[in-house]
Amino acid sequence: MKKLSLIFATLALMFFAMGCDKIDINNTHKPYEPISGNKTVLIKDFTGARCVNCPEAAETVHEMQYLLGEDRIFILSVHAGFLAQPMGNFPDFLTEEGTIWYNNHDSNPLFSVDHVALTDGNTLSVEQIGVPVLEALEEVQLFDIETYATYDETSRHMDVKNYFYPMGDGDGKYYATVCLVEDSIVGWQTIPGGVDKEYVFRNVFRGTLNGVNGQLVSSGPFYVDDVFTSTCSIEIDSTYNADQCYVLTYIYDYDNGKIMHTVMEKIK
Amino acid sequence: MRKHILFLLALALTVSFRASAQSFLKNSQVNGSFQTDAQYYMLDPGIDINDLYGKKFGINGFGKVNYTNGDFSAGLRFEAFLPELNGFREELKGVGVPNFFATYDNGFIGMTVGDIYDQFGSGLVFRSYEEWSLGMDNALRGARIVLRPTKGVTLKAVYGRQRYYWAPYLDRNMSFDDYRGIVRGVDGEWNLNQSIPALNDSKFRMSIGGSFVSKKQEDQSLFYYIPENVGAAAARINLGYGNWAFSTEYAYKINDPSAINNYIYKEGQALLASLSYSQKGFGAVLQVKRVDNMSFKSMYTALQNDLDINFIPPINHTHTHSLPSMYTYSTQPNGEMAAQLQVNYTIPKGTALGGKYGTKLAFNMSQVNDIVRDSVMDNGHMVINRPGSLGYTSKFFAISDHRFFRDINFEIDKKISKDWHVTAQYINLYYDIETIEGHAGAPPVKANIAFADVTYKINRKQSIRLEIQGLWEAEVHKGYEYEESEKKDYQKRGDWAAALLEYTISPHWSFSIADKWNYGNPVAEFRDHYFTGNVTFVHEATRVMLSAGRQSEGVVCVGGVCRTVPASSGVTLTVSTSF
Repeated sequence: MKKLSLIFATLALMFFAMGCDKIDINNTHKPYEPISGNKTVLIKDFTGARCVNCPEAAETVHEMQYLLGEDRIFILSVHAGFLAQPMGNFPDFLTEEGTIWYNNHDSNPLFSVDHVALTDGNTLSVEQIGVPVLEALEEVQLFDIETYATYDETSRHMDVKNYFYPMGDGDGKYYATVCLVEDSIVGWQTIPGGVDKEYVFRNVFRGTLNGVNGQLVSSGPFYVDDVFTSTCSIEIDSTYNADQCYVLTYIYDYDNGKIMHTVMEKIK
Repeated sequence: MRKHILFLLALALTVSFRASAQSFLKNSQVNGSFQTDAQYYMLDPGIDINDLYGKKFGINGFGKVNYTNGDFSAGLRFEAFLPELNGFREELKGVGVPNFFATYDNGFIGMTVGDIYDQFGSGLVFRSYEEWSLGMDNALRGARIVLRPTKGVTLKAVYGRQRYYWAPYLDRNMSFDDYRGIVRGVDGEWNLNQSIPALNDSKFRMSIGGSFVSKKQEDQSLFYYIPENVGAAAARINLGYGNWAFSTEYAYKINDPSAINNYIYKEGQALLASLSYSQKGFGAVLQVKRVDNMSFKSMYTALQNDLDINFIPPINHTHTHSLPSMYTYSTQPNGEMAAQLQVNYTIPKGTALGGKYGTKLAFNMSQVNDIVRDSVMDNGHMVINRPGSLGYTSKFFAISDHRFFRDINFEIDKKISKDWHVTAQYINLYYDIETIEGHAGAPPVKANIAFADVTYKINRKQSIRLEIQGLWEAEVHKGYEYEESEKKDYQKRGDWAAALLEYTISPHWSFSIADKWNYGNPVAEFRDHYFTGNVTFVHEATRVMLSAGRQSEGVVCVGGVCRTVPASSGVTLTVSTSF
C-alpha cells in the first residue's frame, strides 16, 4: 500500500514538472521568414461598430499584417450588416458597396482573403484566415499596379490614375476597383464589457470611386508588355479627414471575383 | 470406478458452475434511462417566424444502460440528433454511441476505462460532465485510477481526450481546427475526521485537497508560440465546527493564450469561498468568487462552451419560474467578481406569523461585476488585451464599476391550510444584456419581477395550481432610441405578464395552459402572446409530455453555462423513462 502511494506521489511529481511550458513574454511571436515575390493580399474585414467581437478580430488581423509585412498585406474594414447599422452615438460607416459585398450574411466579424465579396467558400472567420493569407502571398503575381492620386485641398477633388502591368501573358476579363479609405477615425465601438467611446477605427472603407464592380481593365488575351490604364475621380466628403485618407486599388478576375493584386497610396 | 469418479467430478463441476452462474446473475443489476425530445416547427408570422429554413422537425434522444455486478460496472449511452432541436449546436447532428465505460472498484483501488465523468474539488481546474438540456458533453475518453490507501485519503489520476461532438478521437483532421489536446490530472483529498480516530465524532470537521491538471496540445499557430503543456493547480480546504462551515478553493493556471482570451499570455486565477451557518429553522450562506482569465480548454482555438476542462461554479440564485428565469446569468470566464448572500428562516409553527404550519422566508442577493484591468507595455505601447502580449494586470481585490448582474429577491412560502399552499417572490434585477447575451448597444435590463404560485388541493387526488407573474422594466422605454435594424435587440424587452393554470389528477395526469405576454415591449410589433398548452402523463418512471404553442426567445442556463433558445412555434413531445 505504501509502495503504491509512493509510486503515485512520484508519478504526480514527475507530472507537475512536465505539465507546464512557460513562454517568455518577450518572445511570444514566431519568427517569420518573408515570402518571396511581391504579390500583395487584401483582407476585407466585414465589421460593425456594435459588434463586440470585432475589435479583437481586427487586432488579430493587424497583428498578422504587422508580422507578414505592411507592404504585403492590406486590410479594408468594411462596415456592413446588422451590427454596423448606426444607432445613437455609434458611427455610421455603412456604404452601398460594402452592403453588396457583405452578401446578406448575418454576423460579424467575417473576412474574405483576396476576394471581392463574401461568397460561398470565401467567407472566413478570424481563426480561418491564416492559411489562405499565406497561400495567397505565395501565388504568382499576375499584374502590378501603379497608382497616382492628385488631390486639390480647396475643392477636395481627387483624380486617380492607375497603370496595370501584366507580369506575364494571359487571358480573361479583369476589372479594377478603386476604393477610398479613411484611417484612424475615433468613435464609439462596442467591446467586451461595454463601449469604448474613443475607439480608433482603422482603414475604414468609405466607398468606391468607380462603382461596386469597378472598371474594365482587360478583356481577352494580354501580353507581358501591355500597359492598361484607368482613371476616376471623387469629391472627398468634407467630414472626412483628408490627411488620413488613402486610395486602395485592386484588380480582380471578373468571372470569380478573385483579387490578383492590391496597392494602397496616401492621397496627400 | 474411474468412470464413476469422472462422472462425480463432472457433476460437481456442473453444480459448482451453475451455482456460480446463479450467484453471478443474482448479483447483476441493470439500470438505464431513455429520453426523446421532439419538436415539430411551424411558421408563425405573429412572432416573426416567416421561414423555417428547411427545418420542420428536430429530435434529440438518448438511451443509456448501466450494468453492475459487485465491484464491476459498465455502461454505454446512445445519442441521436436527427437533426438537432433549434438552439442546439449544429455539430451535434448525428447518431451513435459517444459514451461507454467499464469500471472495477474494490474500495481500495478503482479503475475506469472509457468515457470518464469526474470533478476535482469545486471544478475550478477539472470537471468533465454531461448536461443534456445544454447539449453539452465534455467527457474524457481515457482512463482513471482512484486509490484509497488509507481511511479518509483519496487519490485520483485521469488521462484522456475530451469529446468534441462527433469528432473522432484518433485520426483528427487538423484542417478542421481539431487541435484537441490530451488532458492529464491528479487530485488528492484528505478527510481528517475519517483518518484520525480522535476526530471521528468531533464537532470540528476538516478536509484538505489539491489538484494539478495539465493539457498537452499541439502548437499549430502560425504567429504565436503556443505553450504545448499548460498546467493548472488548485488547493482547497473545508472546515466546519458545529453549525458553521467554511470552504474555499484557489486555482492558478499558467500562460494559456487562446481564442477565448484573445491570445494573451497572462496567468489565470480563481478564488471561491463560502461561509455558512445553519440551525433548525435558520440558515445563511455567504459566497464570494473572483475569476481572472480562467477559461481552460483542451483546444486553444475552441470557443463558446466547447472542450472546457474546468468549471466555474455560479453563485447566483436559480429561478425556476418562467419570467425570473428569462434573464439568467452566464459565467464570464475572462473575469468577474461575484458575491452572494442567502438567508433562510422558518417562522415556527404556532406563532402569529407562522400559523399552523410555519412560514418559510428566504432572502437572496447576488451581484457580479467585472475585474479591473490595467494596461501593460508591449512593443513600446501601453495596451490592454493585445494578442501576443501579457494582456493586462489586475489587482486581486479591485472591483470594476462595470456591473454584469445583480439579483435581490425575497420569497415567502406558506402552507395556509390543509388544502392551500402559496409561494410568492419579489425580484429586483439588473442584467447587462450586452455583455451576457451579446446584444450590442442594448441598455441593461433593470426590472422588478413578482410572482405568486398558489396550489389548491381539491381532494386527495386532484389539485389545481395557478401562477401569476409580472415583469416590469420601466427604464427601457426612456431615452433609448432604436431604429428598424436594432429591433432584434429588443425582442424580449419591456414589460411582461404571465399566467399558468395547471390541473393535476394524481398520480398520472396533468394538464396546463399558460400564456406569456410581452405587452410592454418598446417595439409595438413584438408585443406578442406566447401561449402553450401541456398534457403530461406519468406512469411509474415513465413520463410523456405533449405541448403545443409558442416559445419565446431566451437562454437556458445550467450552472452558469448557457445556450441561446430562439423563438419557435409548434408541437413538442417529450418521452422519458428509466428502469
